[in-house]
Amino acid sequence: MQYLANPTRFLKLTNPLIPLAWWVMFILLAVGLYGALVSSPPDYQQGESVRIMYVHVPAAWMALFVYSVMALASAVAVIFRHPLADVAAKTAAPIGAVFCFLALATGSLWGKPMWGAWWVWDARLTSMFVLMLLYLGYIAIWQAIDEPHRAAMIARIVALVGFINVPIVKFSVDWWNSLHQPASVFRMSGPTIAPSMLWPLLVMGLAYTFMFVALHLIAIRAEIAARKIRQIHIAEIGER
Amino acid sequence: MDTAANHVGFVMAAYLLSFLCLVALATFIIARDRRLKAEVELLERDRNRKKTS
Repeated sequence: MQYLANPTRFLKLTNPLIPLAWWVMFILLAVGLYGALVSSPPDYQQGESVRIMYVHVPAAWMALFVYSVMALASAVAVIFRHPLADVAAKTAAPIGAVFCFLALATGSLWGKPMWGAWWVWDARLTSMFVLMLLYLGYIAIWQAIDEPHRAAMIARIVALVGFINVPIVKFSVDWWNSLHQPASVFRMSGPTIAPSMLWPLLVMGLAYTFMFVALHLIAIRAEIAARKIRQIHIAEIGER
Repeated sequence: MDTAANHVGFVMAAYLLSFLCLVALATFIIARDRRLKAEVELLERDRNRKKTS
């Protein structure tokens, strides 16, 4: 892991991965969308509305996954003082926030025809809303504090403390009575969803994952450039 | 997909919203990367010029 601490080495290693991640993402997205919109059957109760699942559920998975990546990167920054760990956490946050927003918005578009309400304050929806606030709070810290080391210290605490919300989101449908349906894919006793609906869902989930990988690597590269610009400006001020 | 079925508008809205948000996110990230990369190159070129002169 320390081998990647050097930004030049990191970029040399990851730059070829970006086009690869894009290509895999595009192929998976094409296959996933075909499965979601063409080959998978309508639900016997929800009808065609069930197709919202193929964009809603992967977005929700990614919102949780990206926050976990941020928490892991923050832990690595605290324990190992890895110079790129804070960069990884910082650049993951806006991507995770967009996935979280999409999970909330597409969930709302699914809720209206199925529940008759755009929004209900039940455990799953409320804990997802808290996750959105955590993302926004984390981004706000980096935006509000000019000094990067101070911002990083506070951001790490938010990412690590906020991680407690991730299992709350996951298990909220088991711990409390909820309008939201219980877990039907990642369960101890296996998925309860029909295979014809499961495979497009998993392929879409993988497509979103590769999209995150590509965007995250580009965002890390941009943040490394931003820090280099800052260093050049500081060096110029020192030379005067 | 049966486009005449009930609530298809909600399905289309969900896909359209996802597409627009993800394209906007990708555009923002890629544009920032290109802008900063160009800025670094410009600054380094200036620095090298100053060093040699």
